[in-house]
Amino acid sequence: MDERVKKALIDIVGEEGYTDNLIDMVSYSYDASEHRHRPSCALWVESAEQVSEILKLANNELIPVIPRGAGTGLSGMAVPIRSGIVLDLSHMNRIISISIEDRMAVVQAGVIYSELEKALKPYGFFFPPDPASETVCTLGGNVITNAGGLRGAKYGTTRDYVLGLQVVLPDGRIMRTGSKTMKSVSGYELTRLFVGSEGTLGIVTEMNLKINPRPPKTSTSLATFDDLRDAGKAVSEIMHSGIIPSALEILGKHTILAINQNTDLNLPEVEVMLLVETDGYTKEETDFQMSIVLDVFKKNNCREIKRATSKEEATDLWKARKTAYAVLARIMTHFVLEDITVPMSKIPEMLEGVEAIAQRNNIRIATYGHAGDGNLHPQILYDGYDPEQVKNKEAATAELFKLSIDLGGTLTGEHGIGLSKAPFMKLEHDPVALDMMSSIKKLFDPNNILNPGKMALKD
Amino acid sequence: MEAKYDFETKYRKQVLQCSRCGFCQAVCPVYGLTLRPSLNARGKMLLLKEIMDGQIDLDSEELVETLYQCTTCASCEENCPSGVNVPDIIKEARKDMVHIGSCHPAFKGMNEVLQESGNIYAEDEPEDFERKRNQKAENVYFIGCVGSYREDEATMSVLALLDRLKVDYTLIDEVCCTGVLEDLGYPMIDKHVRTNIDLILATGAKTVITGCPYCSRTFNNKPQYAELKEKGIRVVHIIQFLKDFDFGVQTEKRVTYHDPCDLGRHCGIYDEPREIIRKIAPNFVEMPHTRENALCCGAGGGVRGAYPKNSIGMARRRLKEVEEVDADILLTECNSCLHNFSNAKLRKQKFKIYNITQFISKLMEEGSEKDKA
Repeated sequence: MDERVKKALIDIVGEEGYTDNLIDMVSYSYDASEHRHRPSCALWVESAEQVSEILKLANNELIPVIPRGAGTGLSGMAVPIRSGIVLDLSHMNRIISISIEDRMAVVQAGVIYSELEKALKPYGFFFPPDPASETVCTLGGNVITNAGGLRGAKYGTTRDYVLGLQVVLPDGRIMRTGSKTMKSVSGYELTRLFVGSEGTLGIVTEMNLKINPRPPKTSTSLATFDDLRDAGKAVSEIMHSGIIPSALEILGKHTILAINQNTDLNLPEVEVMLLVETDGYTKEETDFQMSIVLDVFKKNNCREIKRATSKEEATDLWKARKTAYAVLARIMTHFVLEDITVPMSKIPEMLEGVEAIAQRNNIRIATYGHAGDGNLHPQILYDGYDPEQVKNKEAATAELFKLSIDLGGTLTGEHGIGLSKAPFMKLEHDPVALDMMSSIKKLFDPNNILNPGKMALKD
Repeated sequence: MEAKYDFETKYRKQVLQCSRCGFCQAVCPVYGLTLRPSLNARGKMLLLKEIMDGQIDLDSEELVETLYQCTTCASCEENCPSGVNVPDIIKEARKDMVHIGSCHPAFKGMNEVLQESGNIYAEDEPEDFERKRNQKAENVYFIGCVGSYREDEATMSVLALLDRLKVDYTLIDEVCCTGVLEDLGYPMIDKHVRTNIDLILATGAKTVITGCPYCSRTFNNKPQYAELKEKGIRVVHIIQFLKDFDFGVQTEKRVTYHDPCDLGRHCGIYDEPREIIRKIAPNFVEMPHTRENALCCGAGGGVRGAYPKNSIGMARRRLKEVEEVDADILLTECNSCLHNFSNAKLRKQKFKIYNITQFISKLMEEGSEKDKA
């Protein structure tokens, strides 16, 4: 970093807020994806005003700025691919207010998801999007990636819970979007434009989040299947059976084996397993919903059904599911984790398609995901030091995206485009739509300083 | 490509196995305090990966700050879905660093001190403790450096307790077990090991009771001390030794317990201290982070010596939880934890901090004074 710029940055954030130390530069080169690139420096910021000063400077000097939360993203979104300044927002971690009467929490961007959950628990409320990295990921990161989670089928994703934002624009202006009301049709919906914008339009520093009362009762069951197609059909059928489970997850064989290595759950090592939760206000209500789900399982040739008998047992099952992708690193040290998503009725075809792609490319793909909203996580396992396997991995990745688009699906249900999927944007979006995205980017960030090189936007 | 360093030969697959999920950020005490990802387990594994890939050199001076700033509390390992044994990898990398002459000055200093002195503080005058020494007894009570030279009050209390319980024990002219040196990248010191083994054997004792959980781990797990086991000598930590005693005292006070990493995550000793506490303090309450998930006191792995400010900061995070559960008394059973907590406690925090043994001893003393009155 240029000494003059370095001094100016230190004037804004202080000595303790600035680093270009090797150890920090290495750790800020990565997120949870396979990408890496070093920044020139990183800043620990404390306020929107500091962010504003930094952006003014960066905009004048034409230095890239890359916002970062916990760095748990899976598409290279926080990787500073063109160097520049990493803006670490994790120190802005204050829950500003919780208003149960207004069903709203106001939080800074760096608050960790589970910290908000903890704060809401005494009131019997929760923030429904349920990312698997809940104990680590920041809410700012959730908003900027529009993160989803295990409760997506019933409760939607982060987008459905963001009422308003404080955003710092690349020229340093600080803007408020949205409102503190449950509904508002006042002007363009700027809030939603920023949700899922991957840090390319502005830096979100504060959010008004809608919160829900938490249904106090749940039932959890798992069902095993010998045939992938039967499990796929069961999923499709549940989703038009008249009830919506609060979570419906699918786990393939490789995933089950890896979970068994990491836990003492002793899951049955079958071809495929469905893990399902229903929620409600009374036990009768959750059991009634579960009985319908289990009927569908039986009708579709499930081999075995097991109901969680205690809360602890259920918690363990969900925890195992949430750590699945990291657990798979035990089988193979390199992997890419996709999140293709298809219309609900296409799930059986997608499951079969993934299996065919694995065979065709002679590569191992572990499969699991949020079956309940059509979002599958094929995780390609390979040896990154073996050129042959790297080639096969790349071919399989391209085929997965094509499969999803051919089935009327999307490249990404919840992880975002970032670096990983940028080359495939054309598969999904027509030239006009891509052009509009680049125009919007240009409007907010004419000098292209915010997270450049992501989302296939034009320079 | 041939591995350049021993950590790579031993742990290459483990380092690569880090999936970068970052779940360790939720539990790493150094990260929790500093919010600096390079100090977290994931940050450390990424640096080692780049060293293996030839991107950076192990002798880069900057690496000391993170690879030597780990309390080896093992929370990351306990919670790592990818199965990475971070503390062992870090210890191995530290050996490589020492080998190439790159080490934190505080640790270098500790190694130098121990070459000359029998304790980590280079104290010349050992505390007397007014107990029999180097004599025949059923048990040896091995105090450890912190208990001998920094928390001597706690040690006086535990000795008083053993007396009251009529345990037949002797002290010895102990020297540092030197187990900690291996954590810092140095070899243990043979002459000190020999001194301790010889002194223990000379007493004819069948059991060594240690006041320090780390000494207990060293005696039980390090091959250098295997001779003790071969000669039929059992080594237990004081809390294991006291498990079945009846103390005949109780307090109404609200009591909580801090699991020392060396007793908990490293040895799986969670129930014994709680069983003892329940006998003496029915009003027992757990802190939010407990047992396998207990927060580290911040003193381990040499961090107290090398990074005192952060070490105290970590202790303060833990002490906040004592306030959260509104306890009158914080108990633990490790002189290192006790020492760090005592230094970190703020004046406005009204709770008291003791080792369990110290607290029982105090209750018994108060009881006998009441009897006299």
